Parts: sequence; C-alpha cells; structure tokens
Amino acid sequence: MKSFSRLLITLMTSASIGLAGASAAMAEEKTEFKLAWSIYVGWMPWGWAADQGIVDKWADKYDITIEVVQFNDYIESINQYTAGAFDGVTATNMDLLAIPSVGGVDTTSLIVGDFSNGNDALILKDADTLEAVVGQNVNLVELSVSHYLLARALESIDKAEKDISVINTSDADMIAAYQTDDVTAVVTWNPLVAEILETPGATKVFDSSDIPGEIMDLTAVNTETLADNPAFGKALVGAWYETMSIMLSDTPEGEAARTAMGEASGTDLAGYDMQLASTQMFAEPSDAVTFTTSKDVETTMQAVRMFLFERGLLGDGASSPDIVGIGFPDGSILGDEANVKFRFNADYMSMAADGTL
Amino acid sequence: MPSSRRERLINRHPGPAAGRLLALAPFALFLVAYSVGSEIRLAENPNDKLLPSFNAIADAIQRMAFEPDRRTGSYLLWEDTVASLSRLGAGVLLATVMGAIIGIAVGLIPYARHTMSAFIAVFAMIPPLAVLPILFITFGLGEVSKVVLIVFGIAPYMTRDIALRVSELPSEQIVKAQTLGASTWHIAWRIVLPQMLPRIIDTLRLSLGAAWLFLIAAEAIAAQSGLGYRIFLLRRYLAMDVILPYVFWITFLAVSFDYALRKYQGWAHPWFASQRTPA
Amino acid sequence: MTEVSVQDVWMEYGDQIVLERINFEVPSHSFISLVGPSGCGKSTFLRLLLSQERATRGTILIDGKAIAPNPEPDRGVVFQKYSVFPHLTAVENVMLGLEIERGGVFGRLHGRARRIARSEAMEILEGVGLAESATKYPSALSGGMQQRLAIAQALIKKPRILLLDEPFGALDPGIRSEVHDLMLRLWWDTKMTVFMVTHDLSEAFYLGTRVVAFDRKRKREEELKRYGASIAFDTLTEPAPFIADLKAKEAAAG
Repeated sequence: MKSFSRLLITLMTSASIGLAGASAAMAEEKTEFKLAWSIYVGWMPWGWAADQGIVDKWADKYDITIEVVQFNDYIESINQYTAGAFDGVTATNMDLLAIPSVGGVDTTSLIVGDFSNGNDALILKDADTLEAVVGQNVNLVELSVSHYLLARALESIDKAEKDISVINTSDADMIAAYQTDDVTAVVTWNPLVAEILETPGATKVFDSSDIPGEIMDLTAVNTETLADNPAFGKALVGAWYETMSIMLSDTPEGEAARTAMGEASGTDLAGYDMQLASTQMFAEPSDAVTFTTSKDVETTMQAVRMFLFERGLLGDGASSPDIVGIGFPDGSILGDEANVKFRFNADYMSMAADGTL
Repeated sequence: MPSSRRERLINRHPGPAAGRLLALAPFALFLVAYSVGSEIRLAENPNDKLLPSFNAIADAIQRMAFEPDRRTGSYLLWEDTVASLSRLGAGVLLATVMGAIIGIAVGLIPYARHTMSAFIAVFAMIPPLAVLPILFITFGLGEVSKVVLIVFGIAPYMTRDIALRVSELPSEQIVKAQTLGASTWHIAWRIVLPQMLPRIIDTLRLSLGAAWLFLIAAEAIAAQSGLGYRIFLLRRYLAMDVILPYVFWITFLAVSFDYALRKYQGWAHPWFASQRTPA
Repeated sequence: MTEVSVQDVWMEYGDQIVLERINFEVPSHSFISLVGPSGCGKSTFLRLLLSQERATRGTILIDGKAIAPNPEPDRGVVFQKYSVFPHLTAVENVMLGLEIERGGVFGRLHGRARRIARSEAMEILEGVGLAESATKYPSALSGGMQQRLAIAQALIKKPRILLLDEPFGALDPGIRSEVHDLMLRLWWDTKMTVFMVTHDLSEAFYLGTRVVAFDRKRKREEELKRYGASIAFDTLTEPAPFIADLKAKEAAAG
C-alpha cells in the first residue's frame, strides 16, 4: 500500500504544484528555505541538527529561516525538490544526476557528506564467489544505486547485465523476498544488508568498499537559489560541520547524538555505529574539499553517467551521454557545456575549512 | 413576474446534441487546464518532467508502443500489457470460480453457511497487502504470488456477495424445485447456478477495480514486466511522459472490460434485466 | 385413490401455538378450500402438507402412509408468487420436472429424449392455454399467464395432491374467473386432491367441494400465544355448475 500511496502522492503533487506554476519559487532573493531529507545513515545528522536547534542558530546568523522536513520516502523527497517545492535535498550523486538534473533543474552538490564504504552490497545465497552470480536472477531496486553497484560488480569480472537477469524488488520487501526459495541473489543497502547477512548461507561477494567514493551521499541545493542566496549555502554548511564535530567525536555528547540518530532511524547506538562503520563520513570540511576536488570524482561521474545513459535514464531522446553537463570545482565540464545541470561545489566547504563562515 | 412560467431546473433536460457536448465538457476543460499548466512549467524549464507537453507524451507513446526497446528489443507497452493481463485474467478467473462454488454452497446449504460464513467474513477483512510477505514466502516471488494476491483481494468479497444473492432467491423456488423431484445437487446446478451467472458477472464488474489495484501493487513489489511494474520503475525518474499514457491505457482497458462484461451479460442472459433489484 | 388423513396435528414455534387439534379426513378427488382470517395458520397448515415444515405433534397420512419428510413430487405446489423460474422459458419451465427425473446427474436431456420431453410439455401448455407463449420468459408473461404456467409446471409430474397457496390472489377479476374454470377442468380431468388456501370466500365456495375454515377459539390478547387455531367449521359445498356440466357430459359419453 505504501507504494501505491507514493504513486498517488506523486500524481497529486504534480497536479497541484504544476498548476500552481511553481516556477516562481525557483530563482529570486528570499529569506525562507526548505530542505528535504530522508532516513539514511548519512543524512540522519540533519534531523538531529534540526531538533537541537543547530540549523536555526545558523539560519538566524544570516537572517534567514530554514525548514528541515523529513520524508518517509527517499524518492518522494527528490521528486518534491525537482518539482520546486523544496530548495535542497539529500540524495546520492547518481539519483541527483538522473532525476532533477535530467529534469532540467540545475542542481549543486553543496556538501559531500560521505560515500558508501560497504553500505551497499551484493549478497548471494549459498555461493561465495562473485563469479557465481552469472546466470542468476538478481533482486534489487531497479535503476537505483544498487543497480549501479551491480553493474560495477559485473564490470569487475568482465561481465555485463546481459549475463544476469534483474528483477525489480521493492526495498521494503527485500528481506521477505530473500527468505523465499526463488531468490538467490540480492543487491541492497544497510541496514537490510546486515539483517540478510545474519541468515545462514548468505555471503557478501561485492560491496561499495570495492568501489570506494563512487556512491556519494550529498546535500544538494538548487543552483539558482544558491546563486541568489549565498546565505542559504553558508547556513547549511555551517550547521552541518558543527553537527559533524559533535556526533563523530568520542565524547559523551557524541554518543548521545549518535544514540538519538540511531533511535530516530529505528535502531540503537550499536546499530547506528555499525552502519557508520561502513560509511566514510567526512568529519572535517578539509577532507571533504580534498575529496571533492580530486580527479576521482570526475572518473566516478563518467562511470555514473554511462550507466544512466545505457539505461535510457538521461532522457530517452538522448543520443549521447553528453546531453546533461556536469560541472566540477576546477571548472572542467563533462558533457554539454551549454547545458550544465549538475555541479560539484567545494566553495562553501572550503569556507567551513577556513573558518570563514 | 410569474416565476412559475419558467421551467423549474429539475424538469429541464438537454437535447441530444447539447447532452453530448455537456458530457465532453469536463474532459475538454481538464485537457485545457493541463495544457496551460504544462506550458507554464515548460516555458520556465524546457526539460520539466512533471507536466510533459502533448508532444512529449506522443513521443513517449511512440517509443513504448511502436519501437523496440533499446536493451531488450521488445515492444514495451505490449509486453507489459500481456504480462499484466495474464496475471489479472488468472487471478480474476480463479477468484470467480472459487467465489461461485463457495458462495453457492454457503448460500444454499445451511451446514455450509454455519461453517463458513463467519470465517469468510473475517477473512474478507484481512488487508491483503499486509500479508504480502507471507504470500511471498509461501508462493515465491513469481507469477503465482501475484495471482494469489489478486485472489486474496477479491475472492472473499465475491464469495460473500454471491452467498448473499443466493440466499435472496425466493424460498418458493427451492420448494417448488423439490416438488419437481430435485435433489440438493439438482437445485444447485439447475436452479441456483443459472440464476447466479449474471449476478456473478455483476459482482465481477464491481471487483475489477480492486483487482487492478492488487495487480499493480503486486507488480510494484517484485516483477520484471507489467504495467504496474513500469509505472513504479519510472516513478523514480518522474517520467510522467510515460506514466500518464500508461495510466490512461490502464483506465481504457478497465473501462473496456466493464463494457464488454455488461454487453456479454445482456446477450447471454436476456432474462436477467427484469430481475435486477434497483440499485 | 388419494385419501388424506390429518390426525391431531399441532404446530408450535417455541412457546407459540399456531395450530392445535387439527383433525379431518379427506376422501379421494376432493377440492378443499382452506379459509380463515389472516394469521390463523392456514398457510402454515399448507406448509405442513407440503413437508416444508414438520408438525410438532400429530401425523398426516396419504393413503395410510405418513407423508415424506421433504417436499416431493407426490405433492405439487403453486405459490402466489415466485412459482416459476425466471431463467427458463415457459416450455423449459414445464420440461424441468421431466429433465430432472430423466436427465441423469446434471438433470438435462439431449437429442431425442429432449424432444420427447418438450412435446409432453407442449401438450400441458396447450392444456392451460399457453402454447403460443412457449418460448417466452416468465417476465414477458402477465400475472395470470405466470400462474397458469406454474400450474402446468406442477402438473407434468402428475402429483396426487396439488397444494395452492393463494394462487389467484394477485389476478384481475376477469382473468381470475378464466383461471378458475381452467383449474376446475384440470382437477376434474386429473382426479387429484386439491388443497387451496384463499382469502376470497366466494372463490373458496366456487372452486371447492368442501370448505374448511381455521380460526382461533380464544381471541383475548393474553390467550393468543397459547391457544392456536383449529377448524372452526367444515362444510361440503355445492359443486360448481361447471362441474355439474362436466359430470353430465361424462355420464352421457358413458
């Protein structure tokens, strides 16, 4: 029923927002902003920061207000951002490129919060080598980062998607699906991965730590909104790194923060720490800047856009992956220079590193 | 000014031409509103995916229905339609047969009614989507569990409806049949079943909407093809240019089936029209 | 020979006594009109004769044997409404009795057997004046025609006893008298014993050879529950002129 209400919400959102001509919300100077986030280990800090008043503190510093809204549905949060109802959203690099950017909404990655370092995994039932996946049916959320992970896993043993068969399976039912006899291979993310691995016979044969840095968890904002309202960017970045310094520290305050985040995501401190262990979070803004400005990001985005292009996700009329341009901090552009819709921005993180926020 | 000279609103009827125009008006209005909204958004952002232009929708229809898919080489709309309709057909057929057999037994035979009535009533209240994980574990993730979900969703209602209608048959008929030498089996086969067939069609028509719902929900969970599968897959990418045609296609199919069933019922059971209880 | 013997029949529903001490003997080829005020139990009594219900006390015998516990073909019935089956045409309705008897597990006849049954049914339909409506559905027939069809349907099983539950109550007076005469003729020709429940006293006296009236002896409010109806009077009637004519014709034919 959840899936159906999601569809209903999507259709109703389209109708109401579309007709209201949400274009007005897009680009102008304003003082009220909205950030959407959903439950995932790398984005829990936003909920905690909002609860603790950290976001408000930073917003007040710049005389703006930022409303932080949690979504139960990850895709819905991205869709609302794409539709113009929100100014910022937490999402992966791949999904941002494929949804808002392809949809013509110029999006900037403001904060590279972390990359998945084991949180996404390919699990086989009663087999323990990656090669064993060949010829199998693999259950995963089709066209999500799980699908990307699978593609990269297959590449690593010189195989392609035609050597397996993808069965779209909703993440809400992944664990139940794994229990059935039909299912012998799944790709999914934490905490589902950890739970499935507890079943005897389940073996992880490939995970995101095998492709470190490729699945990034970002906090992204509308490029035009950011350009017209730099205060929005500064407030968000400031709030984020203050939160990072508290939660990732080995102090009682840190533990309290992580416990709260664990409980808010349906687990506990131990569970949350376990998820953090397979997430490479950038505690220091300088580390995030180094990562973002490295050439690896460009290599990753090349792999990502090829994955999307081959599945027709860069627009079915796309004749080449260049159709949507991707911009990097050093000014270089991958794809159509005249149509850059996805940008990595390290400026604000640098300001945080320099302490000039 | 004698207002009684003007015809009261409740007594006014549109002529045939005006009636047709009125019927079309809401659709036309809707299309105009959509068109306007779409243009506004596309003026701002030509790549907007929320309210695609009619051109974009036409392109999408062309792609899905008349061009083979780049990766698999099949015509996606038809492949999806065949997959979905096979599941729907199997589920609906199974549910109808079960509903007819159990419904007639429960409506006709007091022992059956005492045994089954309460159970079916409670069973009908179990939310089918809540027991999906159990269905998957029992029947796997393939076609069977999808068909079972549809059956689970509509068979209890159909059974109860048929049982109710059987019990509404006048007792005079049952007694008369016995005086003509009929056994319980004869009564079921020659008196009850033939009178139930058109009523079964009625309850089937009413259940089809729910059957589509369960079909789409099942496909959204685990599938490789199907109309619901495609919609939920593309929902991720807000591909309304494909989703909207798919939704209209499903609606069209549902309306067609309803119409076809109604026509069949009138042809196969001409005596039924006079039996219909109003409502 | 169809002698009916009703011996000390009582009908009770829990505490409520509906019928008490019903006793009478019915010789062969009688036409018994059962009359009485509303709610006095005459329809209940008919249901006992039909075996639709079972008497709490007493026995009903036909030719010395207790009636079967279920409705059976030896006792045909025509109800006021819903006697015929809406999903069958007139001739199919009449054929039904034969199909069930001769049609095996599914109660259907095919080919030659079906043609034979159909012609038997058509004969009876002619007898009640419905031959032209043979292929129509009951909904296309008037009330009077439907009741004639119901009678035809019952007659094909050649029941020894025919039970009529206010069969002509819903018909217009003109139609009613036509059906009355039809009923008399059929009764005379088949020699069945007929029990007819009716509200209409003139109909009761016209058709019946005997009128049996049910009524409560004790009518006070507090006695209604514990004192049921029994036979208030029981009288032979003059045969209808119609019957006198038929008798005379038969006598003349030798």
